[in-house]
Amino acid sequence: MTVASATGDRPFDDRIFAAEHQRRRARWRSAAVAGIFALLAAICLYNILVIDTDWARMGSLGEVLTSVGRFLAIDFELIPHLVEPIIETLMMSALGTALGAILCVPVIWLGAHNITPSRWIGYPVGRMLMTLSRSIHEIVWALVFVSAVGLGSLAGILALAMRSIGFIAKIIAEAIENVDPKPIEAIRAVGGNRLQVLRYGIVPQVLPVAIGVIIFEWDINIRRSAIMGLVGAGGLGLTFHRQMVMFNYPGVTTVILAILLLIILGEALSYYARKAVI
Amino acid sequence: MPILDVQDLRVRYSRTGAEILKGVSLQVDAGDFCAVIGPSGAGKSTLIRCINRLVEPVSGRILLYDEDVVTMPTRRLRETRRHIGMIFQEFNLVNRMSVMDNVLSGRLGSVGTVQSLFKLFSRDDVERALTLLDRVGLTDHVDKRADQLSGGQRQRVGIARALMQDPKLLLIDEPTSSLDPKIAREVMTLIRDVAREFNVPALVNIHDVQLATEFCNKIIGLQDGVKMFDGPTEKLDRRMLDTIYAMEVL
Repeated sequence: MTVASATGDRPFDDRIFAAEHQRRRARWRSAAVAGIFALLAAICLYNILVIDTDWARMGSLGEVLTSVGRFLAIDFELIPHLVEPIIETLMMSALGTALGAILCVPVIWLGAHNITPSRWIGYPVGRMLMTLSRSIHEIVWALVFVSAVGLGSLAGILALAMRSIGFIAKIIAEAIENVDPKPIEAIRAVGGNRLQVLRYGIVPQVLPVAIGVIIFEWDINIRRSAIMGLVGAGGLGLTFHRQMVMFNYPGVTTVILAILLLIILGEALSYYARKAVI
Repeated sequence: MPILDVQDLRVRYSRTGAEILKGVSLQVDAGDFCAVIGPSGAGKSTLIRCINRLVEPVSGRILLYDEDVVTMPTRRLRETRRHIGMIFQEFNLVNRMSVMDNVLSGRLGSVGTVQSLFKLFSRDDVERALTLLDRVGLTDHVDKRADQLSGGQRQRVGIARALMQDPKLLLIDEPTSSLDPKIAREVMTLIRDVAREFNVPALVNIHDVQLATEFCNKIIGLQDGVKMFDGPTEKLDRRMLDTIYAMEVL
């Protein structure tokens, strides 16, 4: 079976031709796909950048640079006024996470397949609540609660709690669905009831996951709480918004730096919290 | 009167599936240390799990002290389970809990739900648990987490947990299969000795015939869901063993 033995063999020539044809078609196909993408990108660029941008207002390159440059300063006078919002932001994130973790419990109970009271009603409801919580953006939740309970950090806490339920509940529910059934069998065998099976068979197994995910969610909530103020739900975001409407650009930069500091702080805090607990 | 009297027990896992137990009957008397032997898949574990209804039988009667377990309502079943100690092949401990808490969990059936949720056990229970841990040789491991122990030590925790129930019957499912031969012998000796001390009959699944004949006074041979042998250990001969384990050769 050498190549030489196949030379001049009609069926073999056909195979070379077929292979060449196949390769040509594949090349054309990739070219066509690339072309379609390029066209789509061009349409998007034209519609969003060219039509939707207010080119007249932008001015020359120099003016753009000047505008950006205005942010490159720090408003030192603002710093003393940042302490309180920073603390408020931290507390908001902690309380929001804690409230979310508490509100999670019934959702987990409904939405974990192996402990749900009813697989046909409870389970889908639990899963739906998890999705609902996650699919609504925290700013939207905040808008809802600002209109419900008024301006201030209470609205922010409620918004963070609602937004946190989905993620915490989903991860813990899935951990519950994957527990080792052996200890559960043992607790049933000694005559334990459903609550005792939950407490002794399931809770110890999912506790590390639960604590881990709550700390992680708190870490995320520090970030979220820093922007809650944009819609009037308290914290650093409110200060940010005020600086923005006062056109105090160095102030804006100062607040952004404060948020950055807070997030680094939160990162460190959650790292040590995780290490201490697990 | 036998303590446990199983009559014509039938089990299948799904409504249309093959029968796992095809009408098994057996009796366990006071003082019995009874082995259930047979090849893998014979239905040994299913049989043992039927007796406290961790597996629901399709039909048959399981008379424990003359009361039928099969027809019991849930609450009465839990009360009955309280008095049936169970020891498992893979120990079935709660790994992230301490040895002490694992042993105390043997009392769950007898403690109020609210107390048990906060792990509040009485002083007497704690004292009993400590005594039992001394008895199984774990005096130095009381406060360790269960997953820090070796296999043999974990099985000892399992034994203490079963004894904590003050059982009227011990169900033991392959107690030594996860252990090496030396430890297996030690654990079997311990189980037999405590069964005598606490005066409680035991039903032991075991696939190691050597251990079965050495430790048990009565043997039940199971093959493919059918009882092939039932009698005192002395009566079990080579030919009978070949019959019981014939399936494994195939």
